[in-house]
Amino acid sequence: MAFSGNMYNSLYYHFSPTYRYSVGIESVEDKFFNQQYSYFRFTYLLNRRNTENSQGNLYFQSGLSSDGLDGHFYGLHGDWETRRWFIGFNYRDVKNSLKNYTDQFLQVGVAPYLGAYGDFHTWIMIKTKKNTLLGDWSTFPVLKFFKGNFLIEFGYNDQTEWDALVMYRF
Amino acid sequence: MKILLAFVFLLPALGNAQDTHDHHSHEGHLHEQMVDGEKLEVDVERFDKFVEGLKDKQIAVVSVKGMVCDFCAQGIEKTFKKDKTVAKIDVDLNKGKVFIAYQMNTKIDFEKIKKMIVSNGQNATKLQVLKL
Repeated sequence: MAFSGNMYNSLYYHFSPTYRYSVGIESVEDKFFNQQYSYFRFTYLLNRRNTENSQGNLYFQSGLSSDGLDGHFYGLHGDWETRRWFIGFNYRDVKNSLKNYTDQFLQVGVAPYLGAYGDFHTWIMIKTKKNTLLGDWSTFPVLKFFKGNFLIEFGYNDQTEWDALVMYRF
Repeated sequence: MKILLAFVFLLPALGNAQDTHDHHSHEGHLHEQMVDGEKLEVDVERFDKFVEGLKDKQIAVVSVKGMVCDFCAQGIEKTFKKDKTVAKIDVDLNKGKVFIAYQMNTKIDFEKIKKMIVSNGQNATKLQVLKL
């Protein structure tokens, strides 16, 4: 998974031995503090709710920096989706050797058409995010596409510029 | 931004293009069979395509909860492809079904299927079996 935003760029490789948890390494280029480090990450599914037409998930997420115990984060990630609707949030409390901060976003989306398994899928979304190092919420439209093992998501805001995510599932 | 908006408005048309299938009569097709007194609730085009060319097989139609995207479907497909008794598998996201073709002499075990689905994070709730 590769992410690029106004605060950092990162490349994240993770492995899920079961659907309950995943472990991985995230290499980070921190644009705000002008640092480079890696996170050893652990994500755990706290709760999943499956219904006939929907799935809801709540994850605990954490990361330990290669810079030492002073650098780490923990937080929650949640999502609920049907084939038509999506809502998700992310909250991270980050301890950094220079300054602590929180990073969060909320994202809602709709699929303009319902593709079958294997088709090209599209989501039109709105994302709002806030990092306490910057202060204000930044809200912008996002497009998400995926087909097969490949997913790409990108959005743009005048102040925070591009927010992009590329994911490949092995 | 204008390009993004124009693209967004064109997307539904792109989706409709994907929905265009070869429409044909389904009269007498397998999906119309009653299984244990119930009609199969499947995506007709998908199911007919799945059984096309299959002979002397049992088709397990499994209802699954929580199967809302391609990533869920891929996980289920990968799990069942590891099972050597499975001849063919497909996922019908529209109706929340998994189609599994087994050899005729295989004993279909719903408890085993449930465990395989749960190992992927979804829940199997019902099994219907058709013999070809």
